[in-house]
Amino acid sequence: MPKCDHCSLHVPDSKAVVDEIKGEKRVFCCNGCRGIFRFISSEGLSDFYDRRESSWTPGPPDERPVEVSSFSDSMKKIDDGMEIDIVIDGIRCASCIWLIEKIMLRTEGVTSARVNYATHKAKLRWDPGVTDIANILARLKSIGYSPKPSTAGAHEEELKAQQRDLLIRFGTAAFFSMQLMLYSVALYAGYFQGIGEKTRSAFQIISLGLATPIMFYSGTPFIHGAVRGLRNLSFNMDVLIVTGAGSAYFYSIYQIATGGEVYFDTSAMIITLILLGRYIETGAKGRSSEVITRLLNLNPKEATVVREGGVRDYVSVPVSSIKADELVQIRPGERIPLDGIVTEGTSEVDESMLTGESKPVIKGPGSYVFCGTQNLYGSLVFRVKRTGEDTVLWQIIRTVENAQARRAPVQALADRIVGYFVPAVILISFSTFVFWFFYGRMLTPAVMNAVSVLVIACPCALGLATPLAVLIGTTRGASRGILIKGGDIIERAKNIDTVVLDKTGTITEGKPYLSHYTGIGISDDEALRIAVSLEELSEHSIAKAIVNTGGKVTPYRATGFTAHPGLGIRGEVNGKAVVIGSKTFIESQCALEEIEGALGGQLVSRIDKWVSSGATVVYLLHNGRMSGVFVISDKIRNDAKSAVGEMLQTGYDVIMITGDAYETAYAVAEAVGIGRDRVMARKSPVDKAEAVRKKQQEGRSVMMVGDGINDAPALVQADVGMAMGRATDIALESADMVLMRNNLGIIPDAINSSKKIYMVIKQNLFWAFIYNVIAVPLAVMGLLHPIIAAISMTLSSLSVVGNSMRLKRG
Amino acid sequence: MWSVFILMVIALCMGVAAWLIFLWAVKSGQYDDMEGPKYRMLDDDEKIKEDLKSDDDSHLK
Repeated sequence: MPKCDHCSLHVPDSKAVVDEIKGEKRVFCCNGCRGIFRFISSEGLSDFYDRRESSWTPGPPDERPVEVSSFSDSMKKIDDGMEIDIVIDGIRCASCIWLIEKIMLRTEGVTSARVNYATHKAKLRWDPGVTDIANILARLKSIGYSPKPSTAGAHEEELKAQQRDLLIRFGTAAFFSMQLMLYSVALYAGYFQGIGEKTRSAFQIISLGLATPIMFYSGTPFIHGAVRGLRNLSFNMDVLIVTGAGSAYFYSIYQIATGGEVYFDTSAMIITLILLGRYIETGAKGRSSEVITRLLNLNPKEATVVREGGVRDYVSVPVSSIKADELVQIRPGERIPLDGIVTEGTSEVDESMLTGESKPVIKGPGSYVFCGTQNLYGSLVFRVKRTGEDTVLWQIIRTVENAQARRAPVQALADRIVGYFVPAVILISFSTFVFWFFYGRMLTPAVMNAVSVLVIACPCALGLATPLAVLIGTTRGASRGILIKGGDIIERAKNIDTVVLDKTGTITEGKPYLSHYTGIGISDDEALRIAVSLEELSEHSIAKAIVNTGGKVTPYRATGFTAHPGLGIRGEVNGKAVVIGSKTFIESQCALEEIEGALGGQLVSRIDKWVSSGATVVYLLHNGRMSGVFVISDKIRNDAKSAVGEMLQTGYDVIMITGDAYETAYAVAEAVGIGRDRVMARKSPVDKAEAVRKKQQEGRSVMMVGDGINDAPALVQADVGMAMGRATDIALESADMVLMRNNLGIIPDAINSSKKIYMVIKQNLFWAFIYNVIAVPLAVMGLLHPIIAAISMTLSSLSVVGNSMRLKRG
Repeated sequence: MWSVFILMVIALCMGVAAWLIFLWAVKSGQYDDMEGPKYRMLDDDEKIKEDLKSDDDSHLK
């Protein structure tokens, strides 16, 4: 079959559209692709076809016209024209972005076009006098992408704004702190070597000028937080920051008036370093919510409903108004709006966003289709089964959102310490005042000593202690192929004592292939041909293995396909009944003696051997007679045995979990060294999560390793979910850690490095506090040397930074 | 002594200038897409003109 020159789909010769473009004969699957190819080449952008990645298949274009009116809400008027943010569906790689930007910039009237690589959002500006939105959208459409109005959640916008705000506040604080340091160093030098009275007060006043924007502009979020905290009578981190920075600032102003030493650099340092810590944290949060937004944007807003009442009626309605059991028509290139079962038509559907499988799946009557997946080639009608938030896509989004809402316990550790520390400091400060007031009978030194306790007690490295260790630790992990998604995961990962491994795709390679096949009473090839004819219509992984790895055969015409989930399939090939499935399924169709008779003793013992080696065996019943046996194997990863051995040796409880049958599971477990009593087979996705939960109730700390949508609930349930690199979007989203290389050997590594990071965090918190704690008694006694304050500040920050840097090595 | 004050004024001006440039960079979205620039720098400047042919798609422009 020839391949479409635009979208790389295979097209039957009879349906191919042939055209001559620039002297070359081109083949297309449809007129839509032909139009796009012509357009791209007429614009001189044919380079696109060379630069795109080889696995790239855009699929035929969505034929539904763009609803221009739905974009009117998101248009904005700016100084020199109009601006809009739109989401572009169909972007697969960097070349798409290149193509879109080029085409847009060549549209007359468009003044700027930028597509964001991470979010697939385009920001377009144009001159309304020259062109309009309808023309721009038509141009986008004409190169095969579907523009959609941007439906960014308020949450995402808020996070973005928050991040930008923090960056500006931090940047401002950093620039002023740098300037401020200049004068502070001069003042410290002056303290030792002597400095002219006039110069000193000039420097001090300049310092005041530089410290003020840091205190009152950059520090605003802390001031708000502290006010909120005090209203609820809780001493949070913000209270500590504001007391520390604020007392240093106002104390210094007082010192200028009385001719003492100033501490403006202390107040500036506290705010700058803690802002940096917060900025690092929001950055990590923002990245994970982008994927959710992308998933949400995949949902079409409108669909064609088939109304049956004598004559068939096709009505376009909003997706939200469609109810279960209605019929929905899907044209080529459209995204499927809801979950359902196909009633008419056959087509290929790209389910890569759900399953990670890049090869399209053939769908016929009886197959399930899922919301958010993309129909490629033919037209389908399906009966809606699940709507709105019940669809698989929504369940996934919800799981992921819940997972993200979990609190970060490492931060809680710091907060817990602060909870005791702040009241203690305030108490000490107050006692200092009382002591000096009654002992010295003077107001001024009493106030001064009390304030210097406050100033010296605020650990300015505190805000950096956790984020910096997490940042350096996770960067180091990433370079070794372990992505850790957040600081909270580290605390949970250090306690792991049980590792649950999924079988398919984790212990095995997850690429089942047809390793043997035998015909009984018919030739081997004939048996394969019959099986392929029917299996072609199924989307099951076993069916795919038979069709894709069985070798080239010309299939017969198959009709009446029905799938029996978990058992097998049946249908008619060349008018004769064909059943393919597990032994149980076949036995329900045909007498047991007859099966055994047809197989013969020798074959039965070979089948036993295959099953005990971990392969799956399916049987072919043709015209009521046992006619063939197919063996589907999945290779066990080379490093699985050594990795499991290492984990067992370290003392982890290693458990294997799978949806497959016990025989297969035992065989694989044995091969990698997992005991039979540590195998859980025949588990549905929900069962897997339940099994993990049970372990947790026994007091275990569980890490789940998996790769597919089947594992997503268990990945979320586990204390730490780990996804393999080739995993689906959903698994990647649900997981806390991702193994970038498909190498099981790094699992123990990942746990160890979490332990190390956690230890560094604890040490950091210690170093952040210790200098201040030592200096507090000096302040109480009224002996606090300004230079000691400065040194302790710098030393605690340096200790935290240096200690975190240790994570870079080893 | 005067030279020190002049240097101080220069340092202040430079710092404020850097700060203003930073503010401009954040506000104009220079930090919004941290992923894209590494691909963009690989894009060649185009050679469109000779390829531009008035095909039958001129109505699209």
